[in-house]
Amino acid sequence: MAKDTCPVQSTLQYLSDRIASGVLTDPKVRRICESIRMLVEEISLGEAGDSHMAAIDDLMAEFENRTPDDTATKTLDHLKHILSDRREEFVSHIETRNCPSHDCGVIAPSPCQMACPAGIDVPTYLALIAEGKDDQAIAVIREDNPLPWVCGLVCTRPCEMMCVRGRIDTPISIKFLKAFAAERALSDRRYTNPEPAPPNGKRICVVGAGPGGLSCAYYLALMGYKVEVIESLPFAGGMLMVGIPRYRLPREVIDREVAMIEDLGVTFSFNTRFGSDVTYEDMKTKGTDAFFLAIGAHKAWDLGIKGETDFPRVIDAITFLKNVAIGDRHAPGKHVVVIGGGNVAIDAARTSLRLGAEKVTIAYRRSREQMPADIEEVEQAEEEGIAFAFLTIPTEITGNDGRITGLACIKAELIAKKGTDRLAPVPILGKEFTIQADAVISAIGQYVDDSGMTAFNAVNWTRRGTIEVNHASMETSMPGVFAAGDAVSGPATVIEAIGGGKRAAEAIHRQLTGMPQPRMPKIPVRRRKVPMIEMTAAEKMRLSRPVMPMLNVDRRRTTFQQVELGYDEAAVRKEARRCLRCDVCRRCGKCVEVCRDKMGIDALHLGYLDFDHPVKTDFRMTAENCITCGACAANCENNAMTLEEKDGRRMLKLCGTILNEQEIQTCDACGARLPSAQYMAFISDKTADLTQKAEQRLLCNDCQRRLSAKNHVPTRPVNPT
Amino acid sequence: MSQYYLFQDSKKCIGCHACEIQCKTNKDLPEGPKPCQIIQVGPKFINNLPKMSFIFMPCFHCENPWCVSACPTGAMQQRASDGIVFVQKDLCVGCKTCVSACPWGAPQWNPDTGKVEKCDYCKDRVDQGLEPACVTTCTTGCLKFGKVEEMTQIRRQRHAESVASLENSSF
Repeated sequence: MAKDTCPVQSTLQYLSDRIASGVLTDPKVRRICESIRMLVEEISLGEAGDSHMAAIDDLMAEFENRTPDDTATKTLDHLKHILSDRREEFVSHIETRNCPSHDCGVIAPSPCQMACPAGIDVPTYLALIAEGKDDQAIAVIREDNPLPWVCGLVCTRPCEMMCVRGRIDTPISIKFLKAFAAERALSDRRYTNPEPAPPNGKRICVVGAGPGGLSCAYYLALMGYKVEVIESLPFAGGMLMVGIPRYRLPREVIDREVAMIEDLGVTFSFNTRFGSDVTYEDMKTKGTDAFFLAIGAHKAWDLGIKGETDFPRVIDAITFLKNVAIGDRHAPGKHVVVIGGGNVAIDAARTSLRLGAEKVTIAYRRSREQMPADIEEVEQAEEEGIAFAFLTIPTEITGNDGRITGLACIKAELIAKKGTDRLAPVPILGKEFTIQADAVISAIGQYVDDSGMTAFNAVNWTRRGTIEVNHASMETSMPGVFAAGDAVSGPATVIEAIGGGKRAAEAIHRQLTGMPQPRMPKIPVRRRKVPMIEMTAAEKMRLSRPVMPMLNVDRRRTTFQQVELGYDEAAVRKEARRCLRCDVCRRCGKCVEVCRDKMGIDALHLGYLDFDHPVKTDFRMTAENCITCGACAANCENNAMTLEEKDGRRMLKLCGTILNEQEIQTCDACGARLPSAQYMAFISDKTADLTQKAEQRLLCNDCQRRLSAKNHVPTRPVNPT
Repeated sequence: MSQYYLFQDSKKCIGCHACEIQCKTNKDLPEGPKPCQIIQVGPKFINNLPKMSFIFMPCFHCENPWCVSACPTGAMQQRASDGIVFVQKDLCVGCKTCVSACPWGAPQWNPDTGKVEKCDYCKDRVDQGLEPACVTTCTTGCLKFGKVEEMTQIRRQRHAESVASLENSSF
């Protein structure tokens, strides 16, 4: 039996138990065990690199020289034994990233968690929110993302794209539930930082206080590092502050979450440009052990059309939004044309409207379907009265005496080109036209401003002008220098920057403690396993995604008040209950297969389990045919499907949803619990062609055996008296 | 009915349960399932003397087994060659219908595997010309295994001897 269990998983379990139980009293031994545990865990997750076994061997050698007591000696012997006897299995875990016994990684993260660039344990925090434990939910989120409130308002939510509930009706409103929990926890004064490790005396310099820099600073501070953040703007937040307008993300949200990071002892130097106000040498002489570059992508691409440099009212969207954020509240013009189709273009257009522009038009080369902007953003812009000119290629900004009069354009058609999936806009000759305008805002993309980075001369840059890194460790080609965020990816999302910052913080810690770097980017880690929420199948089906209440359009056209007003508490709790708990149910479909193909009952209608051939899903239909035999539950490897007995009823539950319940029958002789009447009827049907059993007492297995034994006592001659 | 017969001479049995243990060891079973079981019947007073019997309860390998009819997956099968009723483990899904269908409580539930265990006369051993595990270990030699035609002889002989014994005879 022992041979069949995975040695990696059992070692991990053994070390976790040893560490958690507190029997390892010697600090050095505990440190060694914790380090080995970490390496073994990575082996079990398939993240380990070639040097992991060597690192474990080194730690074991260190351990060998330090056995202060019996417990330590016992631990050492156990580890020595398993590491020598089962060594090849450890090595095969590293080489093949596969555990033949399925003990490792049996619990794979849910699709939403896998989709999240920061790898947040979504099902866990949703379950906590459903139970009203907002502070615990925030604690879970912050293990992977230090800015839950910010992300709750502005995240591009790749998680919702992958949400399995979307295959039944609509995805869970994951994004906003996070914001609600953060706001409630802050208001209740229960949004707290975890206890940081004691200071380790090492200094890290973070360049840029955007989401990437903040995330890295937060995780480093928790590990005991002294973090100094250099920021050229007068406040923290980076693009959160100067890129995203206030009607989407109020400043207080950023300030409160940054304050939490400041509370951990992270220091910020604002209005300080790296490379001029403070230099690499300055930081080096101060004793900085590592650098983290999160400088973002703050330079706008030029339009490259005639007239672009002739008028003061031609401005790029990044500069425009930054000026507004810093406090310049002048409308760019009366008739504003924004060129571009991304979120930045929409933000610039909606901001112009709020500042008093009379007519705002977004000119985009392709059509609506190809717009990279979020569909909700586009819809909200339309509601506010923003006009769209699709298939429009700007050719020249016209005007006189420094005043713009219009934007000359040409109509385009979309043509499929070789080597790309994206349709290319091609101008149609003769279809020129002019859009009336007195201000033009370009929003056609940004790139990384590398001025000030000259000191990092060994850092490689990509052809796209971004910093080249190893994506598992976020380390650049220059030792001790790490980077993440838009500076690495080009203009991307808040959550990607946060994920990159977190990865970098872990890599910096590894480098400074002499641990090998992982070979593959880390698979998201499940943070907790919280109990299921019991509810009826009818409730699970009936719940629906709430509609987001919005500020009225007049207010939206005139002020920077938050547009999305948020759900009320009742709606939030209900929405969180809608989650299918894909962290536990891995949608292998074995339950359906057993019930339909093996048992021939076909009671489970769970079409959402099958991605390729979705058939109808209806939890309520289970009760029509189910006999509570429990074969589905017996074959569920993750205990997502369970058969429970409560109050004289037998219940079949899938992740807490009661699919069916039937009355339990009991043994006439001993009172033991027996299958339901429906189950017995199923058997009678099957055995109907055999000799009819006489009307029998309802007996359990044991009593049946006992009764037949009694009947089998052989009759034998009795001594005559 | 299978062509084998597992005969227990209950007169000889002392209820030591060695057969049960040997069976479970041979099949590597956890706590719970007992493919064969010694059931104590009594004590009862017969002619003012306490008497009890130990009855060996394996599977009887019926001619028309309820368990085989009840099994929806085809895991419970009857071997065509000799009539042994057995579980094909990889087909068993753990629905327990066989457990409920059997009038003698022969199929047993294995909570560790979530599948059913059942006496199969140790068919792997029988195929090698060996006896079932339980028979090999019987302390008093009261368990006998063989072809049905051979086994009836024992009982007949015993009955004859009993009838002819001095106490009961007319001598």
